[in-house]
Formats: sequence, structure tokens, C-alpha cells
Amino acid sequence: MAADLRVGTTGARPGAMGFLTDTTLCIGCKACEVACKQWNQLPMDNFGFTGMSYDNTGDLGATTWRHVAFIERIDDHTGRRPVKLQPFQSNWLMLSDVCKHCVYAGCMEACPTGAIIRTEFDTVVIQQDICNGCGYCVPACPFGVPELSLTDRKAHKCTLCYDRLKDGLEPACAKACPTDAIQFGPVPQLMERARKRVEELHQQGVTSAYIYGDRAVGGTGGIEGLNAFFILTAPPEVYNLPAQPELPQRRVLPAFLSTAAAALALGLAAWRALRGVK
Amino acid sequence: MMTVDTGVRRWEHRRARSVGEAAATSYYGVPPIHKAHWRWSVALYFFLGGLAGASGVIASFARLFGGREARPLVRLARYLSFIAILPAPFLLIYDLGRPERFHHMLRVVKFRSPMSLGVWGLIAASATATLNAFRQAADDGMLGQRTPLAALGRRLPDRAIAALSVGPSFFLSGYTGVLLGATAVPLWAKNALLLGPLFLCSALSNACAALSVLLRRLGPASLPLIHRLERLERVALVSELILLVALEQQSGPVIARPLRTGRLGRVRNALLSAGLALPISVHLLVGQRRGRLPEALRHIATLFVLASGFALRILILFAGHASADDPEATFVFNRRGSRP
Repeated sequence: MAADLRVGTTGARPGAMGFLTDTTLCIGCKACEVACKQWNQLPMDNFGFTGMSYDNTGDLGATTWRHVAFIERIDDHTGRRPVKLQPFQSNWLMLSDVCKHCVYAGCMEACPTGAIIRTEFDTVVIQQDICNGCGYCVPACPFGVPELSLTDRKAHKCTLCYDRLKDGLEPACAKACPTDAIQFGPVPQLMERARKRVEELHQQGVTSAYIYGDRAVGGTGGIEGLNAFFILTAPPEVYNLPAQPELPQRRVLPAFLSTAAAALALGLAAWRALRGVK
Repeated sequence: MMTVDTGVRRWEHRRARSVGEAAATSYYGVPPIHKAHWRWSVALYFFLGGLAGASGVIASFARLFGGREARPLVRLARYLSFIAILPAPFLLIYDLGRPERFHHMLRVVKFRSPMSLGVWGLIAASATATLNAFRQAADDGMLGQRTPLAALGRRLPDRAIAALSVGPSFFLSGYTGVLLGATAVPLWAKNALLLGPLFLCSALSNACAALSVLLRRLGPASLPLIHRLERLERVALVSELILLVALEQQSGPVIARPLRTGRLGRVRNALLSAGLALPISVHLLVGQRRGRLPEALRHIATLFVLASGFALRILILFAGHASADDPEATFVFNRRGSRP
């Protein structure tokens, strides 16, 4: 299978920088969330308890560029606490979610103003002085990352700390991560590291570990991989991630063609109806 | 630090409530994708754009192929196209988060972004609709008889501008379906191939309905012409009905859920019955009969067709929002083997 050959590969361009987020190392401390907010001067969200696990953020949004999801694995259907632990961790899965900086990004292709650009680090950034708040990038992202801010009405998302990268620093979240669950570096190197780590995990008995964001999983429909990818130990849906996301713009040409065909048919009907009225 | 006080936290009002099982099998029912912020103004833009585009198409076809007798139709269709397109740019700009930056839309042309193409298409369609209406106004003496403006209008090549407007008019009435399809929203994405044709058919039926009634009331138009227009409307209505049913079938049980339940389910029922089935039956029953009752029925059917054009766009838009808020729909769409 061609798809299988693509496992553990990345479609990243030369020089691409990205994140490897290893969820098996995440302890759910939320230092990444805080560091991100602090460095990027993002306003706090409407604070409150969500009532769902330890997640008090909810999801990624205009003011939350890192979001730690907490998933408690309750394996029997009666809802009781499980009594046996997985080989490497507790029964909590924690994922520090972030913009994937897709190799082919839906948000960027959708943007009608050219506000969303690809930087020299191959990351995807929204230029705030260009964005006119049309909001088309918001539903065009298969991962639900960009969102319109309610204060300035522009779209916002993770910049992979473009300003820090420019100065040779690593992004704030990776810098703050105490367990190195968030690693920053050139994408091919990170992918190599991820493959080794997955092998290691398999040897430790965590056979469910895999890379989310390689070409086989994160780029089936033309996304061609993610520059920010993850090591997961459960199906993507458990982490609120789509299993095999697709680049929405792959549908543009076929959809225009089908619409043109319909226009042709209706045009023919209109011609038949209106020609030479006598 | 500044607090963003939105009343509710942003994920809270999107969290799956009614889908029950989905909330248990997903991440606490939090939608994995963000829905579009588009509201009624966008649906109205879709509707008016469709009406303007389809009227433009009818005006051009009647002008190019219709001969002398189609002149009243050409006149009305050109004016209707112009009037319907007037509010369109304002609705589009009103909907922007930062309307004062509308001109940023004109920085680039992006062929893979239907939003970018749409803006340019709207400009082209507005230009051709204005030219056509201008020429018509000059012919009708609305610009005066000997004024320079009238002289300028009469010098416009009539058939050439009619031919010129066919492309942009078709584009304007159909591209919005492509625009919705090129997103990650399950209901729209799943039906990317159907939405454009569906919007086209709906636009054509609306324009035919509006024009045939206007012709009956205002125009010195021959009855055969009106009957031909009504036949075209029937074709468009039947195609629309078929496409809408096909859309629902293709979506599958999970993704089509918003079309079948709750308030949107009622909109869909009303659309299928009163908006499509009823006008088609009226057409078939009343046919070309004359008299007060058939006339009244035809007018009612026209109103229903026009209302259904708006209802269709409301339905597709808000059902898309609902499907984006349903984690299960997104997950089902993103599993291999469930693509269109």
C-alpha cells in the first residue's frame, strides 16, 4: 500500500521548523498555555470551571494558542475508575494541542486577502495588519485552530512564536515545557526523533503509540503532513482530532466543474425556453 | 490582563447538547472544528446574488436568442438583476469583522479560494449588470432623450454586453455553493459537488418566478413568452428538489442530522413541501389556464418559490453550523471511505 510507505514520513519543505508534541511525556502542568499567553500577550479567557476534567480552557481559539486537553480513560462501561494502570502512565491522556502549521494549510489557501502567509521557517502566520476579519479561514481549518477574536474582530492563531524564531529563540511553550513533551526543531529531525520514540514506546509495551501528523495520517487529502505533529497513544478522535483530515481546497476545482456542468445544462434549458418566441 | 467577557465561554455554546451519545464518545462534546460566524446577512447575500445572477442570465439569453417579442422580458430581467445586486456588496462588507478593510480583498487573486474569486466575480457581475441596466435605461428613455448620458448609453453594444454578462452572472449565482463546500464543515464538505448546482437551480427558479409575475403584472408581454418562462421555472424547481433530496441522501444519517431534527428540520420540511412541491403542483394543476383563481394561485406559488430561495440558503447555512458543532459528524466525515 502506498499509504503505508508514507508512515513516519513528512512532506515538509527544506528548512521547515516545527513542534513534536509527545503526549506520553506530558504531565498536564499547563506551563505551555501560560508561557504562550505571557509571551504573546494574549488576554485571559473568561475564567471558570468547565466541569470537564481538569481542562479549564476548552479548546483552541483566538486567545488560546496552546490548549491542554485532559482525557480520563475509564475503560469499563459502568463508569468506575479503572484498577490497572497502563504500562507507562496513569489513566489520564494529556495532549497539548496547537496549530499544526500544515505543509499545505487550509486556512492559508482560503484567505482571500493574502493575510495568511508562510514564513521562512515554513510556519503559517496571520498578518494582523492585513486580516479583514472575513472569517473564511475559521471553517476552512480541518483542525479548528484559527478563530475570530471578539475584541479586534480579526483571526488569530499560533504563530509558532515567529518573533522569537527570528531572534534564534525557541517558541515560548517549548521553552517552558518541564518534561520536554514539546520539542522544537527542524521537522525532518523531529520526525526522526518521533519514529525512534515510537519504537521505544512499542518496546516498553505501549503498542498503541503512533505519530499523528505524518503523511499517512495527518495528510491524507493533500495536507501532506503537519509541521507540528504529535505522538499519541489512542485513536485521534479521543483527543478531539480528525482521523484523516483533508485539505478543503482540494474540492474547489471539482466543485467548480460540477457547477459549470449544471450551468451548461441550465443554460441549455434557458436557451430552449427563450429562443425565438413567436 | 484584559478579560474578554463574552457572557459564555466560547466553547460552551457550541458544545454538543442534543447529540447525547456524541458527547460521551468525543472530547466532552467540544466541537473539533470551528464553525463559520456567518449569519442571516450572508444567507441574504447568497439569495440576492443568486437572484441577480440568474436574472442576468435570463436577460442575456432573452436578448441574444429571444427576438423582438422577448424585449419586455429583457427589460425587466436587466432591471431586476441590477436592483438585486445593489445591496450585495454592502451585505458582504457588513459581514466582515473589519469592514473598513474591505479593500484588502482586492490585494490578491487566489484561484483556490472561492472567497477571493467570489469578490472578483461579484465585481465583474456588478459591472455587467450595471452596463446592461444602463443600456436598458437609455433605450427606455429614463436618462432623458437628448442628454449626453442617454447618448452614451445608446452607444453601448447591446448584444455584446448581453453576451458579456452570461459568465459573471452564472458565476455569481453558483459560486457560493463552492465556497461552502471548500471548508471543513462536514455537511458542506460532504456535498461540495452538489451545493453549486443546487444554488444555481434555486437561483434560476427564483428569477423565473419573480420575472413571470412581474411580466404578468407590468409588462406588455405575450402569454407564450410567460409560459416559456414558467416552463423554465418548473425545470429549475424539479432539479432543485432532486438535488436537495440527493444532498440529504448523500450526507448519511449522522451528517444529515441537522436537516432532519429540530427547528431546521421544520425549515427543511416547509422547504420541501411549501417551497418546492407546492409550486410544482400549482404549475402542473393550473398550467396555462386563465382566470382569477389560477392567477391568484400562481402569485402565491411565486411568493413561495421566492421564500424557498431564501429558506434554502438559511437551511444550508445553519445546518452547516449545526454539523460543525456536532463532533460525531466531523469524525464520520474524516474517516476514510466516507468522502464524496
